[in-house]
Amino acid sequence: MTTTQDRGASAAPAAGTTVLETVDVAVHYGGIKAVDGIDMKLETGRILGILGPNGSGKSTLLGAITRLVPLTRGRVLLDGEDYGRTPPSKLAHRGIARTFQTVRLLPDLPVLGNIQLGADLRLNRATRWRELVRRSVPESVTEAIERTGVGDVLDLLPGELSYGTARRVEIARALASRPRVLMLDEPTAGMNQPERLEVADLLRKLRDEGLTQLLVEHDVQMMVDTCDRLLAMNQGKHVAEGAPADVVRDPAVQEAYLGKRWNRAADQ
Amino acid sequence: MNTWWLSNQILIQSTFISLLLALSIQVPLRAGVFSFAGVGSYAIGAYTAAILTIRYQVPGIVAIGAGVLLAAVVGYLLALLVARLAGLYLGMATISFALLLGVLATNGGDLTGGATGLYGAISTVTTEHVIAVAVVVMVLLAASERGAFGRKVDAVREDPQLAVSLGVNVIGVRRMVFVVSGALGACAGGMNSLLRTTVSPETVGFHLVVTALTMIIIGGALSWAGAAIGAVIFTWLPSLLHTVGEWQLLVYGLLVAFAAVYVPNGLLGLLQTGWRRLQRRGRRIPAEGAAAGTSVTAAQDPEQELAALGGPTGEARP
Repeated sequence: MTTTQDRGASAAPAAGTTVLETVDVAVHYGGIKAVDGIDMKLETGRILGILGPNGSGKSTLLGAITRLVPLTRGRVLLDGEDYGRTPPSKLAHRGIARTFQTVRLLPDLPVLGNIQLGADLRLNRATRWRELVRRSVPESVTEAIERTGVGDVLDLLPGELSYGTARRVEIARALASRPRVLMLDEPTAGMNQPERLEVADLLRKLRDEGLTQLLVEHDVQMMVDTCDRLLAMNQGKHVAEGAPADVVRDPAVQEAYLGKRWNRAADQ
Repeated sequence: MNTWWLSNQILIQSTFISLLLALSIQVPLRAGVFSFAGVGSYAIGAYTAAILTIRYQVPGIVAIGAGVLLAAVVGYLLALLVARLAGLYLGMATISFALLLGVLATNGGDLTGGATGLYGAISTVTTEHVIAVAVVVMVLLAASERGAFGRKVDAVREDPQLAVSLGVNVIGVRRMVFVVSGALGACAGGMNSLLRTTVSPETVGFHLVVTALTMIIIGGALSWAGAAIGAVIFTWLPSLLHTVGEWQLLVYGLLVAFAAVYVPNGLLGLLQTGWRRLQRRGRRIPAEGAAAGTSVTAAQDPEQELAALGGPTGEARP
């Protein structure tokens, strides 16, 4: 327990070592091949973006990586070790945090409680009991609140938040666990442009501090601006991979999803 | 006070026993597990305590404790058995578990006393013991609703997949809930047998499912306090309602229907919403947008506001 926590919280190996890897991962639902043979490497201290049109299997791939969706085929490796049989709840303890495509906050819990949920797995027995007596909030929670700028809404219930704010609360919840790999499923969906820029800015800052990230999005501009590397998918299959500008210019990617006009986005 | 206490012993005892029984169903519900296994555990506890005191002259506390342990183990095994069930199907499976135990009791021959049951379970268990146990249980459950553990259970109920991704062992929580529910139900059953000195298949029948569920629905399913409110109302209501005689059941039915439709979170839910709104109104002035928002909601919804401040509370206590 302690060892995994230490690994999760502090260990920051040199940027560029592979932390998470998928080998020929496939998820089939009957005849539908949602994900079909994806090889992916996530390197420490980098942001890898997974790009693709709706229904291309991005979120399913994320589900497979976080073990919420069973694999039909292939292997998932964390630090070179196959975790295909590890219970999904153990992954959070090993430093993997994620957000979902839709807002998933507990409706009856104020924002603060929702964010604390992210940090709860790191609490030891003593802190748990102390919290019953007086309201103590772990440092990782206050830090996550500060970073995502949701300090004004801590007492509100999720139903009272704007969509953009709710998404930021979700990012805060994920950050509160002090993950070493953060996976975000369309974090800026439903946000307006300034909010998007803010999030992109935050993700880059976190990257600079060494937080490895996997970003699933279909906002191409944001992907080009934010990611160090892109992997493009279409119909469950790998289409292209490499530097964002190159991937966006790749004819196969453009045909699948982008349209010629995104050439300009790549050139900027 | 003293005369009131003495003349109402039975009602006071049943209040706390019903409370424990209601909690044995409320605890799983809070974790999103629709299980009535607590009623089956009530039967286990009731018969274990009676058999041990009558046949082996075991002290009451030990007899109840044995029933609690047995029911906790059975609860764990049951959790393994019904692991793949959820919702309505889980409800049905656990009701059949409760009914099955009733059948076992009826056909248990000498051991359970058959259809007539067992008599003469004399012990030293008193009303004070029952209250003490109930208070300890309430304090523990109240603690379990707060802090990290409370949030964990909330997450398991509202969104198991999210809970898993946050590192919560959802399967473990569900199993634990079956164990706790078993222990609570058995504790209620055991104390009831020993206080009444008798147990029969009738006293552990299907009506307990209805009683417990009614208490939770009226009181509020998401907290121990809801079960407590429900237990008080439904233990004392019959003595208040005796004037309506045979119409009692009709009044019950109407109350439950009314609560299920208009007060889905029970009386406790009403109190909480009311309290929250009162707090808000006192505090919120700054951020212009937010303040305007609240006052608009309040203005749009005066009826609900009134209801939240205690309208139907009066109706529920005729």
